[in-house]
Amino acid sequence: MNCVELQNSLAEIEDASTAEQQAHLKTCPECSALVGELKLIVSAATDLRGANEPSPRVWNSIEIALRQEGLIHAPRAGRSLIPSIGSRWAWARWMVPVAAALLFAVGIYVRQHSISVQLAQNANRPVVPGTVITDLTAGLDDDDLLQEIAQQTPGMKTQYEDELRRVNEYIQDAQGIVAANPNDEEARRSLLEAYQEKAMLFELAMDRSLP
Amino acid sequence: MSGRTIKLVAIGTLIAGTLVAESRKEYHFNVGSKAGVSVNNPYGSISVKPSTGNTVVINALLHSDKVEVDNNQNGNHIEIQSHLLPGADATSGRVDYEILVPSDASVTLHSTTGPLHAEKLHGDMTLEGSGAAVDVRDVSAAHVHVKTVSGPVTLTNVQNGHVEVDSLSGEVTLDQVNGPLVQVISTSGRINYTGDFGRSGEYRLTSHSGDIEATVPDGTSADVSARSVKGEVHDDIPLQPKTHTWFAIQEGRAFMGTMGRAAVSSTVVLRSFSGKIHLRKRSAK
Repeated sequence: MNCVELQNSLAEIEDASTAEQQAHLKTCPECSALVGELKLIVSAATDLRGANEPSPRVWNSIEIALRQEGLIHAPRAGRSLIPSIGSRWAWARWMVPVAAALLFAVGIYVRQHSISVQLAQNANRPVVPGTVITDLTAGLDDDDLLQEIAQQTPGMKTQYEDELRRVNEYIQDAQGIVAANPNDEEARRSLLEAYQEKAMLFELAMDRSLP
Repeated sequence: MSGRTIKLVAIGTLIAGTLVAESRKEYHFNVGSKAGVSVNNPYGSISVKPSTGNTVVINALLHSDKVEVDNNQNGNHIEIQSHLLPGADATSGRVDYEILVPSDASVTLHSTTGPLHAEKLHGDMTLEGSGAAVDVRDVSAAHVHVKTVSGPVTLTNVQNGHVEVDSLSGEVTLDQVNGPLVQVISTSGRINYTGDFGRSGEYRLTSHSGDIEATVPDGTSADVSARSVKGEVHDDIPLQPKTHTWFAIQEGRAFMGTMGRAAVSSTVVLRSFSGKIHLRKRSAK
């Protein structure tokens, strides 16, 4: 299993508990950090009320988008995306749109570039613990997003560059607070909200207007 | 023919040409209770108001022939899509909608430019748009979800609502908004709240670098905690301090306490990383 296959498999087996996933995580610090960050997001959601659960339309839209990207497949008998999330992660259900949006953005990048090429390019950079998720969401996908904006709505590129810069600063500041106060639930929630802001930026930016 | 006459004829031709390019469309749909109406309009305004009876009425003003309106009814769900044709841009592709829906209908509005407006409804509503100004007023017992990148958001008189607003840089203004959950998340936008935080509920106003200002009247009951990592925090209202706090109260950077009656109060959380936070008392008129 390579990095792309592991990330694709997270959509259906969120906790990376299969033998194949575990074998890959033991040898890949980047994917291991990604799974760790996703688990952190999910664990922070225990503090949030069930009233934050999104409407069924949100789930349907996310499921359609993930199928189109090939990140999920037709449900096996007795299993589907929504019941899978509901049965095990019911208390963190509302967080899945955020994680799904991040996975969606990663999937877009995988379609256009090779993760292995990027990791090879990153090999000479020191990997700072806790920052890989930032690289995956802030560095790699930002370029793709800006390229899409530049192609579809060039007049918006500068605005989106500014918005991306601000939201990345938000994430970095929130990560810093969590790193300094790992037991501060408010800090973790702030990090969650920062990721949510970035996911929303991607969501609205990807909504193309022109034919 | 004099020069003045020629100019008048030319101006009249231009105006006539504009009027001819614009066209109006009207659609009527019969629906049941709790219908769903979704409108995707890349460029232009969408305004939604309540209708009489179980009818959805769509009035569309198309600004050119480079856009057409696709409409579809699937049972109790209506879908309206502004379909941009090749060569359309933000001007020629503009459609302005005025829509009437049953007051219990769920509404989803999407426009990049907006503005988006909804009033006097009590069904769930979702309003999204990158730069769209969003205005929601006189709504009760509804889930209100708003997402903008830079568009300003104004919510007025939203009672007993489940409100979630996400705006990266747009200014968010809440006036008399209360309910079991009122949550605003912003990256750099300013958040203004005016009201009494209801009788109970969770109110969370968060901005990374934007300022947060909450103005409340006398008699407001709420457990309030405010915290800014780098910004200033001001409190004009005397609070009964908490005996136990889960974060360090640094003077000028945080405060936590209860105002009014603790037994009947909402929970209010004000958070900013570098913005200012100000809890003000509304001056009596």
